[in-house]
Formats: sequence, C-alpha cells, structure tokens
Amino acid sequence: MASLNLEENIEIDTELIKKAYSLAVKAHSKSSEKAYNVEGSRRSSDPIIFSFSGCWSENGWYDGEPFGVTEINLPLLFPSLRSIGVNENALVNKAFLQRFVDKILGNSNFDREVQKAVKENKQILFTGHSSGGSIANLATIWFLEKYLRSDSPDNYKISPSSPLCVTFGCPLTGNHIFSHTLRRENWARYFIHFVMRYDIVPRILLAPISSIKLEFQKVFEFLNAKSVNLAHASIDTFDASNFYMKVMKNASSVVSHAACNLMGNTNLLLETVSNFIPLSPYKPFGTYVFCTGNGKLVILRNPDAVLQLLFYSSQLCTEEECADIAQRSLQQHFGYENELQDSFQMLNEVYLEPLEQIPLSSDSTSSDIATINSALNDLGLSTRARLCLCAARELEKRKIGNKESIDLKKPDIERAMKFLEEDYQLNGRHRGLGCYDAFKLHETPKDFEANVKRLELAGIWDEIIEMLKRYELPDTFEGLIDWVLLGTRYRRLVEPLDIANYYRHLKNEDTKAYMIRGRPKRYRFTQRWREHADRNKIPAESSGESCFWAEVEELRIKISSQGFEPIKKEVLQLEDQVLDWINNNKLDRDVLLEKSTFKKWWEDLPREHKLTSCIKDLMVVVGRSP
Amino acid sequence: MGPSQTFSSGPELASFLVSSGVLTQSLATVHDLQGEIINQNEHPVRHKVSQQPNCTIIAFSTLPACGKDYIQQRGDLVSSSTLKKSFPLFNFLSTKTNPDFSINKAALELFASIRDRLPTLKSQIDSKPVIITGNSLGGSVASLFTLWLLEKINLSSTKTRPLCITFGSPLVGDDGLQEAISKYPTWNSCFLHVVSNQDPIPRVLISPHNPIDSIYKPFGTFLLHSELGCACFEDSQSILDLLTATYSEGPENQNPNQVLEFYEALVQHLNHKVICKDATQLVKRNTKSFEAGIITQLEAIGLVRPQQQQRNNGIDNLITRTERQEKKLVILKRHVFDPSKKLNDMKINMAYLEWYKKRFKDKGIGYYDSYKNPSNLSDLNVVRYKKILTCYWEEMVDEAEKKPQKEGASFRTRWLFAGTNYRRMCEPLDIAEYYNKGLKDYINQGRPKHYKQLEQWLKETEKPASNPSQSKKQNVAYSLTEDSCFWAHVEEARISCELLSSRESSIGEKESSKHNLVEFENYVLSLMKNYAVSPEIFLPRSSFMLWWKEYEEIIRKGIMGAAYYSTLTDLMKSRSYQNYATGGLEIP
Repeated sequence: MASLNLEENIEIDTELIKKAYSLAVKAHSKSSEKAYNVEGSRRSSDPIIFSFSGCWSENGWYDGEPFGVTEINLPLLFPSLRSIGVNENALVNKAFLQRFVDKILGNSNFDREVQKAVKENKQILFTGHSSGGSIANLATIWFLEKYLRSDSPDNYKISPSSPLCVTFGCPLTGNHIFSHTLRRENWARYFIHFVMRYDIVPRILLAPISSIKLEFQKVFEFLNAKSVNLAHASIDTFDASNFYMKVMKNASSVVSHAACNLMGNTNLLLETVSNFIPLSPYKPFGTYVFCTGNGKLVILRNPDAVLQLLFYSSQLCTEEECADIAQRSLQQHFGYENELQDSFQMLNEVYLEPLEQIPLSSDSTSSDIATINSALNDLGLSTRARLCLCAARELEKRKIGNKESIDLKKPDIERAMKFLEEDYQLNGRHRGLGCYDAFKLHETPKDFEANVKRLELAGIWDEIIEMLKRYELPDTFEGLIDWVLLGTRYRRLVEPLDIANYYRHLKNEDTKAYMIRGRPKRYRFTQRWREHADRNKIPAESSGESCFWAEVEELRIKISSQGFEPIKKEVLQLEDQVLDWINNNKLDRDVLLEKSTFKKWWEDLPREHKLTSCIKDLMVVVGRSP
Repeated sequence: MGPSQTFSSGPELASFLVSSGVLTQSLATVHDLQGEIINQNEHPVRHKVSQQPNCTIIAFSTLPACGKDYIQQRGDLVSSSTLKKSFPLFNFLSTKTNPDFSINKAALELFASIRDRLPTLKSQIDSKPVIITGNSLGGSVASLFTLWLLEKINLSSTKTRPLCITFGSPLVGDDGLQEAISKYPTWNSCFLHVVSNQDPIPRVLISPHNPIDSIYKPFGTFLLHSELGCACFEDSQSILDLLTATYSEGPENQNPNQVLEFYEALVQHLNHKVICKDATQLVKRNTKSFEAGIITQLEAIGLVRPQQQQRNNGIDNLITRTERQEKKLVILKRHVFDPSKKLNDMKINMAYLEWYKKRFKDKGIGYYDSYKNPSNLSDLNVVRYKKILTCYWEEMVDEAEKKPQKEGASFRTRWLFAGTNYRRMCEPLDIAEYYNKGLKDYINQGRPKHYKQLEQWLKETEKPASNPSQSKKQNVAYSLTEDSCFWAHVEEARISCELLSSRESSIGEKESSKHNLVEFENYVLSLMKNYAVSPEIFLPRSSFMLWWKEYEEIIRKGIMGAAYYSTLTDLMKSRSYQNYATGGLEIP
C-alpha cells in the first residue's frame, strides 16, 4: 500500500485519495438528488467519506459584488473563525457558506451521520471537487469546532478521530483571517488541496465578477457539461482565452500587491493605487499539492507562498501560448484522475518548505538543490516567482524572530509583576489599602515605583499588541496557553492601576468613561485571549473582572449626579458579578478593605438596598482584617 | 536561520501598476480629450473630467503638440521667491529647512493660465478617489494641479489621496521641489510618471552627459518601459541615471502628434506582458535577492539582455549603482522618526520626576526650590531625566515644525497632551537653573524655543476657558501649574522686592517695581481663581512664600503706600490660602 507523505507526520494512503476523487466527481452527477454523499466500507479501519457536489452558476459563486464574500457571524457554528485580539470576524464566500448552512446542515441526516461515525470511532474524510471542495472545507471546520476544539491535547499524528479534508481544484474559500484562524487553532494540517498547474478554478475568485461577467456564463456552462459528461464538451477558444487572461490579470494584481508587502515595500504609491481597484481578499490555507503535469507533486503550506504560486505556476512562457494554455486551464479542472494516477506511481514529491533553498536562477544545477530546482522549473517559475517565494519565507522567519524577541522579555514582565504582586500589595496592606486605592492616593515612594513598573509593562505589552494588529507574530500566538495565562495575570494585576491613574487625573472629564474611551488595547486583547481559550467554559465578554474599579467609579459618579433609583439595575448587576468574582478568586479580597473605594461606595448606598443585597454578608464579614 | 534577506519590490510594484488598470483608464480619458474637435481660438490648456464607476479622472492637454526642440527652448526655471507674491499657490511648499525651489517656467505659465478654473475643477472631486492625468506638457499641468491639490485636501486618509499619472512629460522642477515633495512619503506617493524608452520629451531637460548634475530633478515614482516590459523606481538619482541610459532614439518617435498612440500601444502591450513569465537569467549563482530584483528590472527595460553571458562593465556598474541607491532609499524610509515608540519611555522619565516632586512636597519645600538649591544626590538623577526628556521634546518640536502647516498640525495634536505635561513639569527646572546663574528676564531672554512652541500649539487648540469644575478644584493638589513660566514671574517679583527695598535703586526703578508687583498680585490671583496653580506654591519654604515674606515687609513699611490693601494680600495674611489645596477657596 503506497502512501503520500506530506511531512509533519501526515501520510495518506494514495488509494484513499483516488477513491476520494472519484467520489467527489461522482457527487456532481448526483447533486440533484442529494447535496452530499456518504460512503462507508466494510472494514472498520477504513474512513467514512463524505463527498460534496459543486455548483456552476454565477450566484452559486458570487453572491454580491465584487468578490462574493461575507463576514462570518455565526458564533454558535463557527466560534473560532475570527481574529481574537483585533476582534474581527473572518470573511468567507457567501454562496458557499449559505450552501453549507442551508443544504448540508439544514439536512438533519448529515449531522446524524457524522455523529454516528464519531461514535463508531471512525476517521472521517470530507472531500469535494471544484466548489464542492469549498463545501468540504466548511464541513471540516464545522466538524472541528464541534468535536475537536483546541483544548484537546496536541496530537500531531492524525488519529482516527481527527478528520481529514481532501479537495481537488477547489476555489479559494476565505480571507486572510480565515487562513490565520486555521493556523492558530492548529487545524490547517487537516486540509489537503490538490491543484493542477493550469487549473483555472482555484484562481477564479482572485478576479471580481465585474471583470469576467462576459465569459463567466459560457465557461460555467462548459464546466457543468463536463462534470456530467467528461467527453463531450467544448468551449470557444476566444472565450476561453479571454477568461483566462482576465482571471490572470486580476490574479497578477492581487499577487504583486501581496508580494510588495512581503518584500517590505516602502513606496506608498502602492497604497495610493490600491484605492482605485478592488483586490481579492481571499487567501489560501492548508497543505497545497501542486501537480506539475509530468508526475511530480510539489508540496507547500506557507499561505503567502501558495498565493504567489497560484499565479506564477500558470503564467505563460510567451504570448503565443495563450490560446493553448487557456484551453488547458479549463480541461485540467477535470484532469486530476490521470494526473494522480501517474504521480502516485512515481511518488515523486518535492517539499518546497522550509523554502530556505529556493535557487533564484532556473539553471541551478548544484546537486543539493537540483531536485527543488527541477520541480520549480516544472511549474515554470521564473526568477521573479522565485524571489516571491523567498520573500514569503522571509516574512515567516521575521514573524518567528518577533516571537523569539518577545519571549525574551518574559523575565522582565515576570520581574515587574512580581514587584506589584508582592512588594506593592504588602505595602498597601500595611496601610490598610488595596493596590487600587493605594495607587490612586499615590502617597509613598512605593506608589511611584509601582507607576514606573506599570509603564515598563505597558511598553512591552503595547509592542506585542502592535505586532498582532499588523499580523507580525506567528499565527499561533494568540492560542499559546502560556501567553494567554500571562496576559490574564497581567490584566488582573495591572489594569486596576491604569484605572486608578485614569480617574486620579480626571481623564474621564476630558474624554469619557474609562470603559468607553480610556481602556488600552493591551487589556482588551488579553481579555479576549482568555475568553477565546476558555470559550467552552465561559460565555463571551464575561471576564471583565479587571475593569471592576472602572465600573465602581462610574457608578459612583452616576449615583452622585442622578441618585440611586435610576442606577439600581446596574448596581445589582455589579453586585452579582462581585459575588461571583470574589468566590472564584478572580477578584482579590482587598477590594473589601475598610478604606477601599468600593467600601465607601457601598456605605453611601441606601440602607434598604444594603439589607437585601446579595453581597451584604461579604461586606460585613470581612470587616477590618484582610 | 540564515541572515535576513532584503528585496527590491520594484518589479512587483511595476506589475501591480500595470495590472491594476489605472494606466489604461487614464490613457483612455486623455485619448478622448485629444480627440475632441478644437476651435480656432482654443485656450492652450484644455481639460476633461470623466466620471468612472471607481474614480473621477481629470485629464489635461496642451496646445500645440510640442516636440523635443519646443521643450528644450523653454527650460527656464522660476524660483519660489519670485512666485511668493505674484503666484502664491505653492508657498505652502516652503519650509524652514527647505525654503527655496524652482519650477519650469513653461509648465507654470500653462498652469497659471487656468487659475480661474481651479475652484470648478476641485468641486468635481467627490468621495471617489481622483486620477489626474495628461501627456507631455499636459502631464506637467497635471503634476502642478495635483501639487496644488495637496494643500487643499485632507491627506490623512489614504482614500482621498489623489493619483497623478503623467505620460511622457518633461521634468517639472529642481532639487528644491524634489526635496519638498519627497520629504513626505504620502505626497511623493501621489505621482506616477510613465516614460517610454523611445520618448525624448521626458529627457530633454536632463543634460545627457552628466545626468547626476542635472538642474532638473524628478520626484514621485517613475515607471519606465520598453517593449520587453517595465520597471519602477523611486530614487531620484537612479531615475536620472536610467532615463538617460534607457533612451533609444528612433525615427518613429519624433512626431509629437503620434506620441499618445505610441503610449497606448505600449500600455496595451504591457497588459499582456504581466501574465507572461519574465526571462531573467542570473549569471552569477549566488546572486543576492536584492540584486536579483534589480537585474530583473533592468532587463525589463532593455538594459540587460536575457541570456547575455558576458556582461560589460558599464552594465555591471549600472546594476551596482542602482542597487546601492535603491537600497539606501529603502533603509532611509524604514528609519523614519517614529515618536510613538519612545513615548512610553518618556512617560517613565516623567514618572520619576513626579516622584521627585512628591518627595519635596512632603518636605515642605517643593520641587522647584529643591532643584534650585541642590543639596542631595537624587537631584543628580533628576538632571538626567530632565535631559532625556528635553532632548526628546526638542526633536519632536523640531520635526513638527519642519512639516508644512497641515501635516504638522495633525502631528501636533497627537502629542500635545504629553508635551504639555512635560512643559509644565520640566520648565520650572529650567527656570531654576536660569535664575541660579544670577540672570534676569527668563521669559524674554532665556526661554528655550521648544517650550514657546509647545505653549503656542496648545493655545491654538484650546477651547475657551470655563469656570473650574468642582472636581478640578478638589483635585488641584494633583495637578501641575498651568502656566509653566509661573516661577519666572515669582523670581521677577522677588527681584522687584529687592529693588524696592534697596537704597541704591533709582526712583524710576522703584516705581516700575511697584507696578510690577501689583501686576504680579493680579496674575497670581487670577491663577488661583481658576485653580490653575499648584497648591505647592504655598509650601512654607517655597520661593513664593519667601516672596510673600519680603513683600509683606515692604507693605508693612508702607512702601506700597499707606494702608495698602488687595485681595491677594488679604488672602495671604488671613492664611485662607490654606483652603486652596482642598478646593474650598472661593475668590470673588
């Protein structure tokens, strides 16, 4: 039994891939009856294969101009498909998403059949050809969200219960956040995309519909006819050429724009011109296996590099080739069977990664890079294409370097936090004050020292946040448990000091309440990290305990200006939260000290309210002794 | 991990410019404009506004169509000092560090001739982004129009940044103009000049033998193209170099009426070219990525022949030179002054100063007077913090000043809060140093420039003063004195006291001293009314209280006149100033 080795400990039986392809193609012809097919087998070790059909109509691809994307806002189905800190949902092709939600999930059998397979501990393989592949992608993500959240221990070997998604000539599905998310959750490795060198379909969504509207219908009629009957279908060369050229021209602008950024372009003309044209937001994810057309398989994972390769591998050598290549770009969409047959016989796979040794010149013959070089030549990669691959690798390296440099700052963070956790807290206690109130009074040298520590920490964390905003850290960063924990500790410890500083300097008067205008991103981000890491256990936006003091301050101001009654609801809410936070040790008990702002706030509340309050016992029992 | 690689993004930018379609779109509008029927007495500058789905295009065209000689005879420049009064539209380009620049006279006269059309043209620009374009001298008018527009529109959002695309236009100005524009990357990013290797017009104003010493200098980005492809350069030296090196004269390009068609054909050709492979063959095995990018570009504009096994020295030199210049530019642009990175460090220094201030408040002397009579070691540290802060803010103010009005203004508002805090905290220390040296009249003779600027900027943005709020009064103990020159006034008042008490002073000196002291009283009183002065001035050992003791003595002696009385003296005598720190002092 031969198997395709995809490195990172992933190997797939080549027979399984071939079977998946034939099922994926078969799904097209059955699509009128059923939106998906399941195929099990007698042997219990064999996976269950779910295959999804494609669709060839304009609104099955582009639902809304120009690129047919929509924001994924389905927190129940896809809670992970968002950038955590910057708090932005991923974009996904709207038509594909709708098809998955309505036709597949809407079909109650699907959920049941998946559950059955999980119970039997079978491996599940999702597959699809053409836009069926995009549906398979979404189905796999849905499965991962539901059955395999990142809290299960990391297991790099594909276990029977982990799913696999294999697609053939699949269009791009989501944007850069989509791709970022799958890498962050460590899910990207479950996706394997086969792409023929010239197959146009994986490239189509790089063009806005407005630019290809003329030819789109004819091309899709052709593809549709071919999906049903492979032999008898043809398309006018003129239409094919126009379609190919328009898609490629748009692909060129997306890819060269991306390459400029990879290369650290400093000419702002790039920004100026970007205002004038819509650029496709799509970005690849997962493992790509490019079929060169002569039996070689070129494998790579870096999404930036894959995007470049999607364009460069199907460039023309000369303009005269155009008509021929254009025909091929459509024919190859159905050429996977033969190509895979050949490739699996030779099993001549080449890993482009770590992209370290890309020779810039196509006639490089030195032995160590000869294999890579000949694979690059088979994909027709020019010097410029090779430079782009190198630049993609360079960016990845830079991200790793950034992570290393902030890891080196951990001891500084720990040291400053230790001072605040131990020295400073103790110092306050001697004076009968919690950190918040001590800092707000700002009377002793320790308070000033604490202020310096606060600012030092802010410097380090702000730098991290800046990098995250520009996506300059590895995609996995916001899921790294050590940073999530450190961020939570930091937030609970230091945010009260920021709030104290804010209200001490009356910044709420010039600007607005701390929570509205004053809260630094370093706390907003770290709070979201934690809420995401614990998303199975706690509801979203539920760990705002570090903002406790801001709420107390605002309620104090409101009560003094409006009286108690109008604010009662908010008071009750805060009291509920305090009870919960104190009981779960999220909030330090020093908030209950005699001289604390919270205690003073409590004293000023109406007597009748205090008698029935849920925290009345807390407020009495603690009394004087911390 | 190996050492990090650097890249030249020029080839990719060139590709992007072509495949984005903005060149084709602009040329189409120029084509329409030139195709219009022309009346006999037509104005020499014609324009056309075309509303497209994605943008507005404004095209310019000039009459008559001009050849090489026409331009060559009109190479005169007009300097900014001449223009200052007669044509002030470009005065905003002059800055302190770069006051002078010159513009080609012919282009300027054409632009000046449409001065009355400018408001109408500007009103055509709406929320859509705008392309301003033209070929030959029409492109020069487009450049000047865009330049004029830079002052008129808000460039803070990239969405509103205009894009000027010229085709085969002669150079417009000298190194002063180049400097003024390229200093602001956003300005420079508005200009794209497309030049074919066969077009003589863009090259006539460059001396062919010595391009580097050319009086005319290019600004913006140049997209050079040949039938092989195109390439993109931003460094002005490289552009001059390559404009000269790429020129290939041919008979077909001498007719000025056909130049436009020529560009149309070329752009069409490039549109096809972007989806074809480049043919670069690197000769050396271990060519570095940056150099490889440069070679790809030079090849695309026909300077390096593909498959050329033996390169001659000239070409090698050109590659090395271009690489060096482009690299230099990239490095320069990456290391722009970024004040936000350091701002946090500055806050830490400020925290140390706050600490210092607090300690001497507790000792009953105040940080001003402690610093004036340095007696302990912590003052030495303060000198260091102050020095770091001063260096930072001097640089910040300097940077902001160098920027032209509009860019500078937005820059200033962002840093004004921190700058004001710094000024209020640190300037008293400078005042202390000044009067320690026995000098007088700090405000007029000793005040550092950056304090004046910071104060001026605050005044420009401040809202009209209202009565102090209750919480401002209650928190006055935490705030800094608003007038950072307060202590200079105190010092001057003490000097006045000294003059008044001295037997050696003249009558005139005594009279003016009296006058000054009354002024000072009013000044202090108004600060107190607004809760604008820190209660630390009332600390027992502060200079202000020393002044009061001296002044009280003067009043007691009747020097200020018999039974001298004022609101301030009353406040001081009755010690009701003690209520000030808690916000409990009401002054009628």
